[in-house]
Amino acid sequence: MASVAGGSAAETPPAAPRDPGHSLRVPSRRELFERIVSLREGSIIVVTIVTAIYFSANTSSFFTGTNFKTLLPYFAPFAILAAGEVFVMILGEIDLSIGAMYLFAPILFYKLNTSVGLGLVPGVIVTLLLCMAVGALNGFFVAVVGINSFVVTLAMLFTFEGLALIISHGTPVATPGGQLPLDTFGKVFGGGTYSEIIWAVAIIAILQVVLTFTRWGLYTVAIGSNKLGAAEAGVQVKAVMIRNYMLCSLTAALVGIFEAVRSATVQPDPAGANEILFLAVAAGVIGGTLLTGGSGTVVGALIGALFLGILRDGLILQGVNANYLLFYTGLAVIVAMSANVYVGRARRGHGGSG
Amino acid sequence: MVDPAEAPDVVPPTSAPEDVLRVEHISKRFGPVTALRDVNLDLKKGEVLGLLGDNGAGKSTLIKILCGFQKQDGGEMFLHGKPYEPKSVDDAHAQGIGTVYQDLALIDELSVYHNLFLRRERLLKPLPLLANRQMKREARAALDEIGINIPRIDVAVARLSGGQRQAIAVARTVNSDADIILLDEPLAAMGAKEGAQILDLVARLKQEGRVSIIMILHNYVHVLQACDRVSMIQDGMIALDKPTAETSVEELTEIVVNEYRRARAAAHAEPG
Repeated sequence: MASVAGGSAAETPPAAPRDPGHSLRVPSRRELFERIVSLREGSIIVVTIVTAIYFSANTSSFFTGTNFKTLLPYFAPFAILAAGEVFVMILGEIDLSIGAMYLFAPILFYKLNTSVGLGLVPGVIVTLLLCMAVGALNGFFVAVVGINSFVVTLAMLFTFEGLALIISHGTPVATPGGQLPLDTFGKVFGGGTYSEIIWAVAIIAILQVVLTFTRWGLYTVAIGSNKLGAAEAGVQVKAVMIRNYMLCSLTAALVGIFEAVRSATVQPDPAGANEILFLAVAAGVIGGTLLTGGSGTVVGALIGALFLGILRDGLILQGVNANYLLFYTGLAVIVAMSANVYVGRARRGHGGSG
Repeated sequence: MVDPAEAPDVVPPTSAPEDVLRVEHISKRFGPVTALRDVNLDLKKGEVLGLLGDNGAGKSTLIKILCGFQKQDGGEMFLHGKPYEPKSVDDAHAQGIGTVYQDLALIDELSVYHNLFLRRERLLKPLPLLANRQMKREARAALDEIGINIPRIDVAVARLSGGQRQAIAVARTVNSDADIILLDEPLAAMGAKEGAQILDLVARLKQEGRVSIIMILHNYVHVLQACDRVSMIQDGMIALDKPTAETSVEELTEIVVNEYRRARAAAHAEPG
């Protein structure tokens, strides 16, 4: 590609300077629409709004305050999980072990609180640190040993879901700090109505800033786009990869604790955890992050999660048989992704040589 | 195979106090393949040294060792007379050695100015946030000074032509305060006009006299035009080291052809 482009470049006259008046002109409605759609998150924003309008028109109870509260747990946890996963996906890798961290963290938290006697907040902190150590282990096997990330994290998924079953003897227990009446700890860590959504928005905002406006984010994109090139430029590739895996484990562990506090029960259920894992990956992908790496958005992960939440909530309100939910979710992912690919092509379309 | 001791006109190590960079008896193997056998090289302050050699002669390997990306198996290097053992690209960079790689090391998905400032990002101190406006401004100024025409610096480099990408890779290193610059085929993928721009840039840097340059080139005419001195690597060793004023395209061509003939004769002479 390079030699062809170089040959033609010699014959092309130097490009004219940009029209200085261009940015001052008020864009037409069509241009505005094109600009929104050509955002990385653009297509899923449109798809999500259309879905919300559809359910508002077809069910009387969708667009109500009560339903908004019902909707929250359908998407806030997935948004947090997907935000961490996006950092791994931009590297061109994947982390399946978030399912295990989600399951393992509250069990560890329970043991630290009841058997070791740690307080609630110290218990959470130690749990998060230990889960981040697992993330570092993921990163070590992927970046240093060089094993495919799908294989590494699948193995870790089995291992830590297994460990969760061993430690808990497969028996549900009452979450420490999650029992009624909730104190401040319970309200902050997932039990309050708006707790998870506040955490989600805060985490998404921070991580989007990290991705777009810090070296860490820049290097993450650089590694996903050209790993060798990033290394040659002096980026500490292994350190960044390990750090991103630690972040991903951290967000997963946090969500595990939130959900255990919210539901008041630590539920050792690997099947449920696996479904949550895949929905989180789906949210990231639908939001516009490429599984192949080099490009991604944290805000998109939130919107992807919102789309999946609206879809699930709306279908339930419409009285769709519960057996159909997974089926419709699958179809919706295909449709949303097709829209993403189409829009992505349009975005790169003009004069793109790569 | 030709035994190194028997091979004629192999350049021995030299020592001169004005050398900014000196390389002695460097060797490097990749499994069964010997990339560098015994390389001796020196670079004087403000000098432009052209490095020639056929594909696979070991030019790029030598550059990667000099810039800290790979470690040699044997031999020593000296920077300003002191032992030079770079632990990483960053370490080499901190010691003043900047590199433009053959595969460019550009990040397709990042913008022109982020590529220009990769690993030297400007920050909005005390915040750890990227100073994008400042980087854009400085990138524009740097490219203008170098005389490289990139219409937009906020687009991803994936959208640029091969020549423009090469120009950005060169500009990144020139702009990095390195006092020794290694250019691995800076004219590959370039149109005639863009290539001339890069050679002009090298000439201007030479005039300033601040930096010393080692440049891998394929075109002998370019070497004679742009370099003070030429070193030719053959079979993992330096087979010629002369000021460009004392050599010619004919002589350089002859050395390559003779080496080819000798290698063929040696291959025929071997039993089996």
